[in-house]
Parts: sequence; structure tokens; C-alpha cells
Amino acid sequence: MTYIVKTNQLTKVFEGKEVVSAVTMHVKKGEIYGFLGPNGAGKTTVMKMLTNLTKPTSGDIEIFGEKLLDRSFDVLKRMGTIIEYPIFYEDLTAKETLELHCEYMGYYDKKEITHVLDLVKLTNTENKRVKDFSLGMKQRLGIARAIITKPELLILDEPINGLDPVGIKELRELFKMLCKEYGITIIISSHILGEIEQLADTVGVIKDGRLIKEVSMDAVNRSQTDYIEVIVNNGQKAAFIIESTLNITNFKLMDDNCIRIYDSTASQKVLSKTLIEHDIEIEGISKKTSSLEDYFLKLINGGVVSA
Amino acid sequence: MLNLMRLEMKKYHIGSYIKKAVFANFILLGVTFMLIFITKVEGDQDLRNYQAAFGFIDSGVRAVFIIFASVLIAKFIIGEFKYKTITVAFMYPLSRKKLIASKLAIVVLFTFCAIILSTIFITAVFCIVSESFQLLSDPLSFSFIIQRIPVVIINAVAASCIALIPLYFGMKKYSVPATIVSSILIVSVVSSNTGNFSLYDIIFIPITLAIIGISVAYLSFRNIEKIDI
Repeated sequence: MTYIVKTNQLTKVFEGKEVVSAVTMHVKKGEIYGFLGPNGAGKTTVMKMLTNLTKPTSGDIEIFGEKLLDRSFDVLKRMGTIIEYPIFYEDLTAKETLELHCEYMGYYDKKEITHVLDLVKLTNTENKRVKDFSLGMKQRLGIARAIITKPELLILDEPINGLDPVGIKELRELFKMLCKEYGITIIISSHILGEIEQLADTVGVIKDGRLIKEVSMDAVNRSQTDYIEVIVNNGQKAAFIIESTLNITNFKLMDDNCIRIYDSTASQKVLSKTLIEHDIEIEGISKKTSSLEDYFLKLINGGVVSA
Repeated sequence: MLNLMRLEMKKYHIGSYIKKAVFANFILLGVTFMLIFITKVEGDQDLRNYQAAFGFIDSGVRAVFIIFASVLIAKFIIGEFKYKTITVAFMYPLSRKKLIASKLAIVVLFTFCAIILSTIFITAVFCIVSESFQLLSDPLSFSFIIQRIPVVIINAVAASCIALIPLYFGMKKYSVPATIVSSILIVSVVSSNTGNFSLYDIIFIPITLAIIGISVAYLSFRNIEKIDI
């Protein structure tokens, strides 16, 4: 397995307080790695350490197969980043910002500027000063700046903050495209679960500075169980009928009226017919998938889930 | 390094600072003439000869550009840390030390050139006007001007290094006001001029301050590769 980023027991202490504790993460080449965690969990600090802005107290980082040291400047050429929030030299125009960025990065394809502004839907803003940009526009320009040099690794810290729903969708498509067509590995952090869920191939869940789970979305999806939920007037009786008549044992009586049937062979049709024949009133019946949200919320709230 | 300096100057639109420096020259010229005029009207003994007038011009130029340098330091260095744009700059594949060194080099070179050019400009205009209108009592001799050249250059070198001292105060809390206020305090020492005497004339003072300036710059960024941003 080729890992583009690997950390080993990465720890950062700020003023005696451990903000990142023994994080060991693995990012595969060509994937989108979602970094999920509540605000203040340590996502930004980890990302700052990956980009060499902040130095680890202990542990180490390997990027592109090389150990990251204080003076590892060359690896930065292969990365595109947004850390915390997009920061710019505000007196410059969008075009000047990107031009200068390219020069500093040692990348000399000026044609890319228009192309990349189109990609992030900032067409015709080349000559506008960054200080006149809205937060959403800055976020887009930050992404444009991060991707203009076609880096191998993109590190995006909360890139969708400040964007409207349409913008979020556009950027999601853009990230997927960059990953698929240009083979760019993306590490993206967010506290918004739905966003990570729709984008990531692998999810790292961080809480209180600890990486509590690193799991592929495939594995999460596989582990999610479908069930049929029936709402009836008499749960006890219904449960008895389900067990005795239909020979289904894999179910759970949630409360007096609600039963969840996990048996995958059970059919809604047969179930409702049988219950009605036994004089049970059905108020509702539906097929459900326990959501990923449940899965991650359990993780973050301290529950243990296997995937 | 030269390329880095070029990029830094582009980033901060150095042209606008050049315009401001030119503007400062005219103000200084105006003040010089005003003082000569007042001296004449009041009948003071100060500023009666070229020696004193040039002394005043030197002090004035030095004061203006040491403060000007602190504005550059505030913009090019302190501001980068204060507004966190340094996170952008430090994510480029460049040595942090080299980046900061290029910024400091711009400040020092800008200050040096500004002092030399302004001294030439103001002295020239002043001499032409005062000769035409006989403003001063003593005659202007060519050898006197030639003698001044090495002095002006050495003073400009010292002042450019002294101009780095405010960096120390500014970097303490990434404070722009601290940078500029400290430069004003320094100016009050090095450009104090009572008649024909200035503290700057005691050679020991500018040299010591220049050494302090260089040390401050070095110490402020000695560990820059290791610090957290």
C-alpha cells in the first residue's frame, strides 16, 4: 500500500496542554481522506503540522515517503493548502494573487490563472481586489490558489465554510474531479458530517486530539444494517405474532409501539398482511438504514462501534 | 535571493512607497527653507552657514527614513505575522530564513538608497536656491561638498542598520504601533540636533546602534525555522 502521508504517534503540546495526542494516520495515494471532528478537536493543528507550519512536540510525519523535517521545504512544492481560513495579501487582485503564488511556487503557466478561476466559478474577477471579496469568494480563491500548481497533495481545512449550498455542491464535484482526473490526493477536514460522508474514501475521526477511528467508507457502508420499522398500536402483541407466526427472531421492540426487524428475509408485504390478519393496527411501516450519522455520532460521543 | 526580493517588492507594491518617499523629500525641503527663513527673520545664529544647514539636512533625512523604515518593517514583516499572511509565505518551498532575510534586505537597501538620494536631492536644491538668493552668509566651496560624500555614505550605512532596531519591539507582540513608536524614540536620539552638535556625531553612538540593529535582526529570526506559526 502506498501512503502519501503517514504520521506516527504525532503529538503537539501547547503551553502544557496536549492538543494532539499520538495521532497515527494513513492517507493512501489518490484518495480523499476526510478528517472529521468537532470544533477544537485538533484538526487544524494536525494539518498545520503536515504542512510544516507547526512543529510536532513528538512523533513524526512522512510525506511522499520522506520524513518531514524543520527544513523540508521542497515537499511544499508538491502540496496545495488552505489552513484555518483562506488568508490573502488583501491589497492584491485575484490575478496578482495567483500570479505571485505561481512565482513563489516555481510554477510558470500563466494561462492556468483563467482556467483555475473558471474551475472555482470566479470568472471575470481577475482584476478585483481580494479585500472586496466575500467570504465565500475568498474560500473559492483559496481553493484556486491551492490547486493552480496541480499539486499531488491537497490539504484543505474546512474549505466549505462560508459557502452557500450551491457552492458546496460545485466544490464537492470539483474535489471529486481533481481526485479522479488528476489523481490528486486530498485531505479535507470538516466538522460537517454530511460533507465528509459524500466526499471521502477514508474517514479519520478525531476527538480531543486523538484519532479515535480511521476507517474506509466502504467498510462503514457495509456495516450499516437495514431494518424494517413498524409502528403499531400494540407492540407486545405484534412482537409475539412476528415471532410465533413469521418465525422471525431478529427484531427489537423499541417501545410500546415501535418494532425494528433486522431479519433481511422479512418482507414488508407479508409482515403487514400477517399483522392485520391478527387485528393489529399498523400506523406506519418503512424500510430504514441506520444512518452514517448515527455511526459517527456514536464514535464522537464515546460509544464503541465496530466496522 | 534577488528574485525573492523582487517578488516581495511586487507583493507590497513598492512603487507606492517610492512615491511616499519622494513626497517626504518635498516636505523636508519645505521645512529646511522655512527654518532658514525663520532664522533670518529672528536673527538667530543657527543655520547661518552651510555646515549647520547640511547638518540639519542630514539629521532630517535620517529621521525621516529611519521612521520610514519602521513603516516598511511594520508592513513587510510585523504585518505578515499580525495578519497571519506569514502562513501563506511559509508554505512556499523556500527557506524561512531566506524569505525573512530578503525582506530585511529590502528594508535596509531601501533606507540606504532613500537616504543617499534624498540627501543629494535636498542638498542640490538647497544649494541652488541659497546660492541664487544668497540665503547663507558663507560661500559654498566645491571641496566642502566632496568632503561630505564619504561622511554621507557612512552615515547612511549606519542609519540603515539602526533602522532595524524597531523590529525587536515590533516582533514582541506583532505590534505595528510599537514598531513605529520605537523608531521615533530612536530618531530622537540619533537626530537630535542642537545647532552644530548632534549625538550622531559622536562616532561611537551610530556604530554601537548599528551593531545593535544588526544583532536585533539576527536574534529575531535566528530560530525562525523552528517556530510554530
